Amino acid sequence: MKSFKPYRSQFKESQVTPEELFLNRRQFIQGAVAAGLITSPIAALADFNFAPNSNFRPDLKLTDPEHALNYNNFYELGTDKSDPPRYADSLKTDNWQVRVEGLCAKPQTFDMDDLLAFDQEERIYRFRCVEGWSMVVPWIGFPLSKLLDKVEPTSQAKYVEFISILDRENLPGQRFNILDWPYREGLRIDEAMHPLTLMTTGLYGKELQNQNGAPIRLIVPWKYGFKSAKSIVTIRLTDKQPVSSWEQAAPDEYGFYSNVNPNVSHPRWSQAKERPLGSFFKKKTLMFNGYAEDVADLYKGMDLKKYY
Amino acid sequence: MPLAIKLILFSLICAIPAGLLSFNLLTDNLGANPVEALEHTTGDWAIYFLLLTLSITPIQQMFAPKWFMPMHLVRRVLGLSALAYALIHLAVYFVFDMSADINETLTDIAERPFILIGMTALLLLIPLGITSTQGWQRRLKRNWQRLHKLVYTITFLGILHYALLVKADLFLPLLYMTLFGILMLMRQFKLPRLR
Repeated sequence: MKSFKPYRSQFKESQVTPEELFLNRRQFIQGAVAAGLITSPIAALADFNFAPNSNFRPDLKLTDPEHALNYNNFYELGTDKSDPPRYADSLKTDNWQVRVEGLCAKPQTFDMDDLLAFDQEERIYRFRCVEGWSMVVPWIGFPLSKLLDKVEPTSQAKYVEFISILDRENLPGQRFNILDWPYREGLRIDEAMHPLTLMTTGLYGKELQNQNGAPIRLIVPWKYGFKSAKSIVTIRLTDKQPVSSWEQAAPDEYGFYSNVNPNVSHPRWSQAKERPLGSFFKKKTLMFNGYAEDVADLYKGMDLKKYY
Repeated sequence: MPLAIKLILFSLICAIPAGLLSFNLLTDNLGANPVEALEHTTGDWAIYFLLLTLSITPIQQMFAPKWFMPMHLVRRVLGLSALAYALIHLAVYFVFDMSADINETLTDIAERPFILIGMTALLLLIPLGITSTQGWQRRLKRNWQRLHKLVYTITFLGILHYALLVKADLFLPLLYMTLFGILMLMRQFKLPRLR
């Protein structure tokens, strides 16, 4: 058995100093490659402008990028974990636009240049799939709250709905109605505005790959992975709780909240433990995926067994 | 070729998927979730071998092929292969999913219908494996056939176990269930002799 090589974080405490925060992308990539920190599959990808934010767990051991890039749930590209990297090319991301609309003063359409104009920061987050596997990924992006601030949500906006790409012609998974396409997800407005909620444009120092939900996706680290919608085209502020695609498909299994909770089992399997990608044995799952300190207040007084 | 050699060779052929799996395991080629790969592959092969076992009789009735060794031996090796893959499947689940903890496993069986169903299928398959020899066949007389008709129930439970596990894409479990249905239906009729 070849030993599993841990992928170490490239960022140390000493790098927190402001003048070092913004790295020239070329210097960063060259440095990382020279230091042997970036392994082959990811090194070939286009590089990217961003600043590491060391407030977000630089101490966590990163998942091997090869796993994060080759083991994906992205049903638009197929239901097998190996389908998304295999059919990645069928996701067309040219001239991508994100429409932000609904209950807001200034509905707007953003193209990728607009979205990349927000300060891009790298954050290392835990990611826990509802199926019981997990990873630790250095995502790059910006807080969703910054985007929502631009459109000025009205006081009636209580929820945010996320709608992913619909392209039945090109996306092999959308030829079958395994889910009700397009993929839809939703958050409560306070969840959407939470500083941990990240609009994500990159990972492992590179732009987001198609199989990971390019060109822009959501990452909500305290919720099961399917809440973090990929390849988003519409963000809609609403006064009604949106029904997500998974909720519609199996309401007793995939609730609106879907917060990571080791004490509330999925009807068909336990959520008490998780298997980090690349490892044989399981470890204990943490309440709110380890973000309880930051988010538990959002759910004060709620019965989390009822609001799963 | 002596029968013993044929038996060994055929058994080795049935062990090829296990060999490939071991090779990929040892060379770190099972991907991001090696345990899942082990579980899915061994589970798949247990179902394949059960379906193959069930297809021997209809093939015999329709085509009466000249088998390379006595038909009952072909069927026995296929059935025992199903058992072997199912046992590896259980072992991987017990060691890596349940941390080899009996209590945790019992809780899991009690709480998850699909685990209970899979476990039932495997428990029923074990006596069939043990009594698969000619000695047992003689000893059990007519009861042997009665006992071994359990393989129908076992195959059904095995596929049901799979169907209850998948999240949304039921294509493969439904395909296996259809094949199983066809094989069962063929047993209800006198099949035409095609050759």
